[in-house]
Amino acid sequence: MASLLRTISTGLRSALVNGAARTQIVRLSSTEAAKTEETKPTVRKHDVAVREQLSDFGRYVAECLPKYVQKVQLTAGDELEVLICPDGVVPVLQFLKDHHNSQFANLVDIAGMDVPSRQYRFEIIYNILSLRYNSRIRVKTYTDELTPVDSAFEVFKAANWYEREIWDMYGVFFANHPDLRRILTDYGFEGHPQRRDFPLSGYVELRYDDEKKRVVCEPLELAQEFRKFDLSAPWEQFPNFRNANPATEEVPTKKDEKK
Amino acid sequence: MFRVPLAKAISLGSPKRVANIAVRASASAASTPAKAPERIEVFVDDIPVQVLPGTTVLQAAAMVGVEIPRFCYHERLAVAGNCRMCLVEVEKSPKPVAACAMPVMKGWRIKTNSDLTKKAREGVMEFLLMNHPLDCPICDQGGECDLQDQAMAFGSDRSRFTDINFTGKRAVEDKDIGPLVKTIMTRCIHCTRCIRFASEIAGVDDLGTTGRGNDMQVGTYVEKLFLTELSGNVIDLCPVGALTNKPYSFVARPWEIRKIDSIDVMDAIGSNIIVSTRTGEVLRILPRENEEVNEEWLADKGRFACDGLKRQRLIAPMLRTPSGELQAVEWESTLIAVAKAVRKAPKGSVVAIAGSMADVEAMVATKDLLNRIGSEIVCTEQSLPTQGSGSDLRSNYLLNSSIQALEEADVVLLVGTNPRYEAPLLNTRLRKSYVHNELELALIGPKVDLSYKYQHLGDGAELINQISTGTHPFAQKLKNAKKPAIILGSEMLARPDGAGILATLQSFANKISKPEWNAFNVLHQNASQVGALDVGYRPGVETALKAQPKVVFLLGADAGIVTREKLPKDCFVVYIGHHGDAGATIADAVLPGAAYTEKQATYVNTEGRSQQTLCAVNPPGLAREDWKIIRALSEVVGEPLPYDTLDELRERVEDIAPHLVQHGKLETNSFATLAEQLAKDKKIDNSKITVRQQTLKDYFMTDPISRASPTMAKCIAAVKKQEAKAH
Amino acid sequence: MAGREAVRKTVQQVRPILSIDRDEARKRVLNLYKAWYRQIPYIVMDYDIPMSVEQCREKLREEFMKHSNVSDIRVIDMLVIKGQMELKESVEIWKQKGHIMRYWKETVEPKPTDFLSKFLNNQN
Repeated sequence: MASLLRTISTGLRSALVNGAARTQIVRLSSTEAAKTEETKPTVRKHDVAVREQLSDFGRYVAECLPKYVQKVQLTAGDELEVLICPDGVVPVLQFLKDHHNSQFANLVDIAGMDVPSRQYRFEIIYNILSLRYNSRIRVKTYTDELTPVDSAFEVFKAANWYEREIWDMYGVFFANHPDLRRILTDYGFEGHPQRRDFPLSGYVELRYDDEKKRVVCEPLELAQEFRKFDLSAPWEQFPNFRNANPATEEVPTKKDEKK
Repeated sequence: MFRVPLAKAISLGSPKRVANIAVRASASAASTPAKAPERIEVFVDDIPVQVLPGTTVLQAAAMVGVEIPRFCYHERLAVAGNCRMCLVEVEKSPKPVAACAMPVMKGWRIKTNSDLTKKAREGVMEFLLMNHPLDCPICDQGGECDLQDQAMAFGSDRSRFTDINFTGKRAVEDKDIGPLVKTIMTRCIHCTRCIRFASEIAGVDDLGTTGRGNDMQVGTYVEKLFLTELSGNVIDLCPVGALTNKPYSFVARPWEIRKIDSIDVMDAIGSNIIVSTRTGEVLRILPRENEEVNEEWLADKGRFACDGLKRQRLIAPMLRTPSGELQAVEWESTLIAVAKAVRKAPKGSVVAIAGSMADVEAMVATKDLLNRIGSEIVCTEQSLPTQGSGSDLRSNYLLNSSIQALEEADVVLLVGTNPRYEAPLLNTRLRKSYVHNELELALIGPKVDLSYKYQHLGDGAELINQISTGTHPFAQKLKNAKKPAIILGSEMLARPDGAGILATLQSFANKISKPEWNAFNVLHQNASQVGALDVGYRPGVETALKAQPKVVFLLGADAGIVTREKLPKDCFVVYIGHHGDAGATIADAVLPGAAYTEKQATYVNTEGRSQQTLCAVNPPGLAREDWKIIRALSEVVGEPLPYDTLDELRERVEDIAPHLVQHGKLETNSFATLAEQLAKDKKIDNSKITVRQQTLKDYFMTDPISRASPTMAKCIAAVKKQEAKAH
Repeated sequence: MAGREAVRKTVQQVRPILSIDRDEARKRVLNLYKAWYRQIPYIVMDYDIPMSVEQCREKLREEFMKHSNVSDIRVIDMLVIKGQMELKESVEIWKQKGHIMRYWKETVEPKPTDFLSKFLNNQN
């Protein structure tokens, strides 16, 4: 991962000649930097150097794929997220997988997220891992109920089942998927259970009917208890907590500078 | 209490209050400056704010939205300044100042988040926690504990407490102060809120501190129960888990429970409450803040009688068998049996009697049903004179001054009432006014302890005439008063000469009333009474009994006023209600209804404020909402009522009385003089005036819910034990 | 203003799922219908359901007509995809007898609508 830092500072050319020795130097210097910094003991420390490397790498990805990358951000201090448009799933993942200086060859997981209030309510999140550089990043894209997303199957074979899960749970259609069918729900199940508008108890219930000698399916009448979470902590109104660090920090890219 | 919005500290903590407290301490007359004093500018965290002189640092900070941590300070209690949690740095001041007690000076720069302030808070917190047990996992306050919250927000994140052998922590013996409040005195941080509440609001000087320094203890000096009708409020006030709810101990955690806003129906004040439920069970009841009704207090009956909602409940419809036993049956057969009796009865021989907890919706539905089958007689258990204008004019039966405005009264005459137990939260208002505004009170009726001093005029009814004719010396005081008030107990109106008392006092009240101030007040005891009269129920059961009814509907009429002997032999009694009490035992058919926590229903309090309860849990077993029972019955009878939903029913209620569906609003009424003209009969017997609730043990069980409550039974036992000990 | 908004909406470019235009979508629907229609005798036989082929075809028609008012091409495509999925599950005998019989909803009782029956059933 340390090599990525160099990539940015000296450009692509020097990155190719980057060696392990240099990596070593950066590593050493980074530990020194962490020592001097005063941090709150109860809060997880972020390695400043790691943050720097990650944001530099994010900036580099944005530079290389300006057509697809819309935003680069750091969450929870030191987790890099690359936000791309839905058309860019295959090229971006291909780039991250095959680029010599990233080698994110491992698709750990694909997650879905539903925010019904958004125009594109679903977020598809690819968690990828680079064993070569011991680094994990996240690629996020968005879609709605009817817009298909390109399947990542041609890049990562692991995407097969993950995308089936998302199809099953959220109803996002993946174009060019070799075998897109249900994976978790029962045959004949209607609806997509992870959508936020799907009730916790579901719409139907199954029971064994003694008369018919088979399992029958009946509409469920179970008023879901509306849970009201009192999430505002009492000390939130105190100044210490009012201006807490934001969860995500955007990494400014070249594109922004042009504007 | 940080769980309340900032606005509260601002609205309550006006400098006038602070001044009042200071005045009371010196026992001299209160004198507020006539012209508005100039505002002074101070800076809170460099934000300028204009405040009145006398504003404390804490209030000034609240004005700009900065909450200063505190334990001992409470908006409704005197300032004690002993917890030191509210220390803040003030520029050019050598030491941090206690924000709750220190009035601001011009140009002060208050730093609520500076290093010095933080250090001071951490130090105070460290001292508090040093002697506070680490038993949060088994503490009932856990999750709603001010100490927990503030230790998280302001405490140090390290411990210097090295006493791993547990030799140094202070331990205090627990006190037994009654069946309602559980004490774990080791947890006490000596904020003295409970002591100040007891002496200032409740008016019993039972609690206090003994010892000093590390040996300081909060307790009752001698072994004694802390029994007042307001004792539950110290549980809410306690910022830690030293005083907790005894019936609720180890029952639930605050994050597991659902909270539903509702209205208390144990008395006619209509206190605003929060019903805490979990898995279809009412676990506890807490007060909800409403400045106009109950401030933030709640009387013990409203708070602790909720366990009566689980006992003695009617959970299935029942019919009386020929052998004389009540047998649980299905809804269909019960409705058919009742409908058969109703149809068989000749016109005009079906009556309905509403009890103390009947809601407006059910009463309207019942009245509509009876009108449809040609009967007019609907009445309430509690009577009120019907001569003159009777219940036609609202001012005849309301607490016209309004609960909040009674604080401003300067002379009050209580007639045949004991507000301490009939309406504890009205009594706190009177006491507050007595303490802060030099309110002068007199009582006609039995001599009772009202928690403040009053002039006892005697208990003869002839005194009323003396007052009204002006021959009694107290009448002069009432006449000279700026805001006089006469509070008439509802039990007086049930007397045979009730009409005379009402008319006499009303005409006298009109003489002493001022514009915008109606001196005549009726204090009811039943939550349903005003609502029933508003929708056109006749007060008193006499007309119903005189009509020789063939079918009687008892809408939760459990006071025992209607008995089998008073009814004709062949009368079919239908009881609609939630508890197996006096009403259900005489009934031929029992239709199980919903208690106030189980239905969305309207209640009108004694000042005429319409408020609604919300459904917190479902009615148990086969019980149904009351108005739905009437609606279903109407269909079986063959006269279906034209509403299927609560909204449609409320539209009907709105047609009858529009103010009933405007929940929370107080409807003013101004026909007081007209009422006097209509009143003719002013005769009063010279008999003794008495009230039902005279001492604390009379207070706890007055209605079917509290009669079914084991906690209330324990309270009565405790009071009796206490009385036996005193001799 | 509203007109412009409407125009903007109608010309909004969306990514098609499968079909480019209505005719293609229609063709897909008919193909799916035909596929089901042809498979029904085998399904009836394989699953040994107590329904005749005619009854099944009636149900098939009913299920398709349920969505007769759908006009969005992408929604039609989505329904076709799900129908195709169902067909495959049925034909491959991944489903069981109960799953097939679910289309008929035999055990579901209609809900009461009048006040009295709702009252007796304790329904709101």
